[in-house]
Amino acid sequence: MMKKQSLTKTMNPGVHFLINNAVPIIFIILVAFAIPITGLSGKYFIRELTTRISRNSFLILALLIPIMAGMGMNFGIVLGAMAGQIGLIFITDWRIIGLPAMLLAMLISTPIAILLGYFAGIVLNRAKGREMVTGFMLAFFMNGIYQLVVLYGMGNIIPISNSSILLPRGYGIRNAISLVSIRQVLDKFIPLKIGGILIPVGTLLVIATLCIFIVWFKKTKLGQDMRTVGQDNDVARTSGINVERTRILSIVISTVLACYGQIIFLQNIGNMNTYGGHRQVGVFAIAALLVGGATVAKANISNVFIGVILFHTMFVVSPRAGKELMGQAQLGEYFRVFVSYGVIAFSLALYAWRKRIEKENKRKKAMALKRGILVK
Amino acid sequence: MRKRIIIRTTLIVVLILIGIFLYTVGKEHKVLIDNRDISVGDITYSADTTYKVWVDNQEIGVIEKGGKKMARVKGISHKIVVEEIKDNVLTGEEYEKRFKLKTNESATVNLPAMINDKNEWIDKIN
Amino acid sequence: MNEKVENIIENVGLPRIIIFFFLVSLFALAPIVGVSFETSINDVIVRFAMNGILVLSLVSMVKSGCGLNFGLQLGIIAGLLGAVISIEMQLRGFAGFFTAIGIAIFIAVILGFFYGVLLNKIKGDEMVVATYVGFSSVSLMSIFWLILPFKSPNMIWAYGGLGLRTTISNEGYWLHILTNFFQIKIGSHINIPTGTILFFALLCLLVWAFFRTKIGTAMTAVGSNPEYARSCGVKVNKTRVISVILSTVLSAIGIIVYQESFGFIQLYMAPLYMAFPAIAALLLGGASVGKASIKNVIIGTFLFQGILTMTPSILNNIIQSDMSEAIRMIVSNGMIVYALTRVVRVR
Repeated sequence: MMKKQSLTKTMNPGVHFLINNAVPIIFIILVAFAIPITGLSGKYFIRELTTRISRNSFLILALLIPIMAGMGMNFGIVLGAMAGQIGLIFITDWRIIGLPAMLLAMLISTPIAILLGYFAGIVLNRAKGREMVTGFMLAFFMNGIYQLVVLYGMGNIIPISNSSILLPRGYGIRNAISLVSIRQVLDKFIPLKIGGILIPVGTLLVIATLCIFIVWFKKTKLGQDMRTVGQDNDVARTSGINVERTRILSIVISTVLACYGQIIFLQNIGNMNTYGGHRQVGVFAIAALLVGGATVAKANISNVFIGVILFHTMFVVSPRAGKELMGQAQLGEYFRVFVSYGVIAFSLALYAWRKRIEKENKRKKAMALKRGILVK
Repeated sequence: MRKRIIIRTTLIVVLILIGIFLYTVGKEHKVLIDNRDISVGDITYSADTTYKVWVDNQEIGVIEKGGKKMARVKGISHKIVVEEIKDNVLTGEEYEKRFKLKTNESATVNLPAMINDKNEWIDKIN
Repeated sequence: MNEKVENIIENVGLPRIIIFFFLVSLFALAPIVGVSFETSINDVIVRFAMNGILVLSLVSMVKSGCGLNFGLQLGIIAGLLGAVISIEMQLRGFAGFFTAIGIAIFIAVILGFFYGVLLNKIKGDEMVVATYVGFSSVSLMSIFWLILPFKSPNMIWAYGGLGLRTTISNEGYWLHILTNFFQIKIGSHINIPTGTILFFALLCLLVWAFFRTKIGTAMTAVGSNPEYARSCGVKVNKTRVISVILSTVLSAIGIIVYQESFGFIQLYMAPLYMAFPAIAALLLGGASVGKASIKNVIIGTFLFQGILTMTPSILNNIIQSDMSEAIRMIVSNGMIVYALTRVVRVR
């Protein structure tokens, strides 16, 4: 009986590299084709990309820690986004403006984010092996609760004095709130213009700080614990690590970071879509991370930045490409959504498939060892 | 154990203090600048000049006699600078006043009173 | 006596009992708050019949071990295509209805096949990937709804925009074709949609019978113990694909029945989240990620639609505001989260 060799071993390193990085490579090809079609200028791209990188990177970085702890893609960042939005509603109600307003929003939404993250962590711990689906459904569930609070509670049980953000009926927050009070406060904190493009130095500094924090965190005891938990629960447990608590902590940190990330995102945009703003946060952030070459089990900072550049280039390019190709920008928008979901589906499927192959190979190897066919 | 409780309580207190600080420093106040006649005691000061107004180094605009404009300012301490305009030209005659606003206060500034350095130049309402 | 009650609680499940009593109390409250009892019963029955088949479609995949079919949208798309093509062909009445179903089944088999092959390659992670396959296919189809060359004036934009309309009415074609079939009227408010219920019952019967056939029992075996099934000579992969095809076909039929009752064909992004209410209903009926039966379907759909109908209408009358959407999200998604966190008990 011929022994079947491991699938990845028989391939030459070139093919191996292609499969491991399939997603970003496909994306680069897609984008390379699409850019010339749109006829957009390089300057436009640089300006758009600078804005988008500074706007979105924080949120995507928030995903890294749960992956380290083996929790997979944390759809619970949506909960963090909700907490951030609640904070923003309050500072708008209290009529606080400027950078203090943004910082205050972060301050008051932190306890909310911690609470939500803690809840999410507990739920996810009870759904081991199914974290991603559960996280996904949990986000929808929380959206219902968020709606109850914001659409019915605010103005009612929760006093809101600023009537301009309330609905005409007297309670419930409006669909769209202008955040002109904090518009670009962080971006313009240290103003810098190069060639007519505003470089959001403040925001970029904050992002850099987060990156440094993440690198430092990985070296701390808690960070090391998380990595151990992520690699093997049982090994971690026998080493004396409280696996449950570590997992919950990773989600809490991620949720709080997502909360800040959403506030940073919204301060750039300048207005808030109260009921829809947070919904796509999870999907877009995760899709971007996957496009950057991360997998469910492994993600690092370079994945974040490669991902945000590639993903958002596609984002910018799609409606225009759709318009040029078919005369309908709407087509490009559907394409955009399709790519976001498709990337996740493809990445997850690829990862799951590879995981299975490796498990099969391990099993076969163990069996062959047992039978004495394969000599170690 | 006790040390942990102390540290955590201190942390929370510090955060609350920071919160209060941010709230005060970031609170938006409305300052109405009014260019109309005002009576102080028996004397009436009439508004007969047009002025250009700056509040906290931000240009608010030109207020003619009888007109008014709203300024939105942030924080506690403020400065209002007013320059005369005669025949559509800045004369260089400047007047400056500083004032403080508590957290929930808004104010009305009366220009003639301010020019004449009367105490009633600013009226603060809660 | 106490032990018996305890047994019942453990078998039926405490949450389900709570929800059952909750529903009963809602019905009791109805006349008090001014909601018409008869209209409520009527609404619940109609929605029960409308949604039943979609819930039924989930059973085969749960039984074969593929988990909850979060990619239900694939079957729905097949159904939408069938419906739209049938209207394009200007067929009315039963002819239109059954043509829609026929075309839908054909497309569903093809889609289900590929879907099943994909799921086989990722055993153990089916649910997550299925969710995103479902989402991407809805988005992809949205592109196609825009560019496919349909001409029926009923379906394209009046002023000549590109593509099909977002919602297409099937009035005049096969709207209520089943509902009005031997409709039984009780009193002034209750119109029992006999046709729809009969059709649903028929399909339930077919599924029940299917699981008593050789393939059916093989499917159940594959789900509960794949190794044992393999050792009995059952082709595990092939059986799983068949279960996926069956699920897709049933959901295609299910959406057509839903539209027959609802009156509109909803295209573009509308089907995006349609898997969730169906899954929530099934779970509410007592199923779990690894176990489902027709009984779960019937009980679950009834309870779920009952809550979804009654809670908003009662709350609206008490609090004078419309909370239905928020409540729907909480109940439906909360059920799914709850079921996902239940520890799988190995018997």
